[in-house]
Amino acid sequence: MIENRPWLTFVSHFSLLLGIGVVALPVWVALVASTHPSSAFGAGEIPLWFGDQALENWRSVFLGEASSGVDVPVWYMMLNSFIMALGITVGKLFISLLSAYAIVFFRFPFRGACFWVIFITLMLPVEVRIVPTYEVVANLDMLNSYSGLILPLIASATATFLFRQCFMTMPGELIEAARIDGAGPIRFFFDILLPMSRTNIAALFVIMFIYGWNQYLWPVIITTDDAYYTLVMSIKRMLAVDQGDIEWNHVMVTTLLAMIPPVAVVIGMQKLFVKGLVDAEK
Amino acid sequence: MSDVVLNNIGKTYPNGYHAIPSIDLTIEEGEFIVLVGPSGCGKSTLLRMVAGLETISQGDLMIKGAKVNDKEPADRDIAMVFQNYALYPHMTVYANMAYGLKNRGESKEVIAEKVTSVANMLGLEELLERKPKQLSGGQRQRVAMGRAMVRDPKVFLFDEPLSNLDAKLRVQMRVEIRQLQRKLGTTTLYVTHDQVEAMTLADRLVVLNKGKAEQIGSPMALYNKPATPFVAAFIGSPSMNLLPANLDEQGICLSDRLSLPLVHDHRGSIIWGIRPEHLEVVDEANADFALRIQAVESLGAETLIHGTVDLGVKQEPMVVRLAGPHWPEINSLLWLKAPLDHWHVFDAVTQQRL
Ligand SMILES: Nc1ncnc2c1ncn2[C@@H]1O[C@H](COP(=O)(O)OP(=O)(O)OP(=O)(O)O)[C@@H](O)[C@H]1O
Ligand SMILES: [Mg+2]
Repeated sequence: MIENRPWLTFVSHFSLLLGIGVVALPVWVALVASTHPSSAFGAGEIPLWFGDQALENWRSVFLGEASSGVDVPVWYMMLNSFIMALGITVGKLFISLLSAYAIVFFRFPFRGACFWVIFITLMLPVEVRIVPTYEVVANLDMLNSYSGLILPLIASATATFLFRQCFMTMPGELIEAARIDGAGPIRFFFDILLPMSRTNIAALFVIMFIYGWNQYLWPVIITTDDAYYTLVMSIKRMLAVDQGDIEWNHVMVTTLLAMIPPVAVVIGMQKLFVKGLVDAEK
Repeated sequence: MSDVVLNNIGKTYPNGYHAIPSIDLTIEEGEFIVLVGPSGCGKSTLLRMVAGLETISQGDLMIKGAKVNDKEPADRDIAMVFQNYALYPHMTVYANMAYGLKNRGESKEVIAEKVTSVANMLGLEELLERKPKQLSGGQRQRVAMGRAMVRDPKVFLFDEPLSNLDAKLRVQMRVEIRQLQRKLGTTTLYVTHDQVEAMTLADRLVVLNKGKAEQIGSPMALYNKPATPFVAAFIGSPSMNLLPANLDEQGICLSDRLSLPLVHDHRGSIIWGIRPEHLEVVDEANADFALRIQAVESLGAETLIHGTVDLGVKQEPMVVRLAGPHWPEINSLLWLKAPLDHWHVFDAVTQQRL
């Protein structure tokens, strides 16, 4: 900004801080709650400063000593979540890179039609096709399995579309130079196309990972075996206790644990992510 | 043995556009051929057909005696330098140069040796570890040439490789390309629309007009004996003065006031031409005609004088080029003589030289 008016600076800072406060308050509450004994919530008031139970709470949740309503410890569910999220992300990237590659660089009959069919699936997220998809997965005997968790979610029209746009801006001379240099379709894909789409892949990786990690409905529907429970699912389970109080402190620890991996991915890939969103490095 | 033979080569684009009707050209080993012509005349199309980037609709293309019409670019043993260099942005200079060799399955040692020797030749030793975006335009150009050279191809193809450089660098690179080509002795096909580049680089020039080869020959042959008015106007700068005229018993009749004596048995309408540098300033008594001066461009070493010649019915523009500085007055008359041995006469109907 070229303008330098004190009140403007004040207003803009104030509104930014307000925004941060609104977003961060729940996280803060969760963090604080995870350090109190569960009784602290019984009275209906929310503590705003740390208690002394932090280590104890985190340890017991992590090792599964606290009753979570699920038979496996939290670290195991984290692993499940992780496998699912990573599987969905890698699968989505792989499939959409290949389909975008085919659509942009190869001339085959009904190329345009193929693209539009893929595009139309944007209108069919899992939630819409959940019953038939369940039927298919059940018939294939994939209930309660990692492949059942992952496969139905990996088709991605969004990613295909974004990669298509990215590939189409690839300079024609570069493609021709690679042809003259003797790069066949496979070499071209791995040596030229993939490295040049690096930033786009990173950006999509972040978005897809968070999407995969936060999946709730689909895992709830197809897993009945606790060994395949994901972390996000287990939070709901913890809130649905039959008798007695909800152990808010343990719920909050689990919530925080569920937040860490997406945050770590965003922070870790921030540089590439931003680059992928704003420029194309070509 | 002739190196590259284009036999009745033609191109029709899928949309039905007839870009090149038919071209015949035989290129000898080590020859530097320049394709030149105005924008859209089909230079790139022709070059890309030789490269294999564009399918050949008609005719045969032979490289070293083998028909290569249906071969992939990589199998034609050619190397191409593109206008925008087309360097791989994510690879270092070294990797850029090595990529073609790597794909051919050469061993690491051979690649290293070839890349290093070419880098030395082009003065790129210091830059091998850089990425293309860390290079200046001239350096990128050099890397693009290096990439073509390491492959040691039978034919170099250049598509306006210098058009993105500034004027000074262009002259320097032009000289360098010529020297390198002489040293390597590699047959070269070079596309440009800059006639100075064309004249200075070429062993032989191909002047293209709407997909047809108007004339093929050495730069001097094209300068001295252009086959058509198109070539006459295209080669040489400023371009040749061309005036419509009539040829009859008296000679060349530019208008009812002005005619130049010439003995020739052709009759009918013609185009008469003379280059600006061949017109001589003389006194009124010896002059063929007068030029009414309209603009003077002094370039120090030479002066270009633009004006019109009064032909009665209309005024025809004409340019004169004189050595050294001159300061004639605007609107004054300049008496000119057109020496007979520098005339160019073309049939106005067939457009052929008479
Ligand atoms: N893919 C295409 N489909 C149809 N017509 C084309 C195609 N590519 C080029 N043309 C046409 O063919 C003609 C020759 O094009 P070309 O690119 O060879 O011109 P050029 O001589 O290289 O011009 P420039 O000096 O501007 O590069 C042009 O009229 C152009 O419009
Ligand atoms: Mg061109």
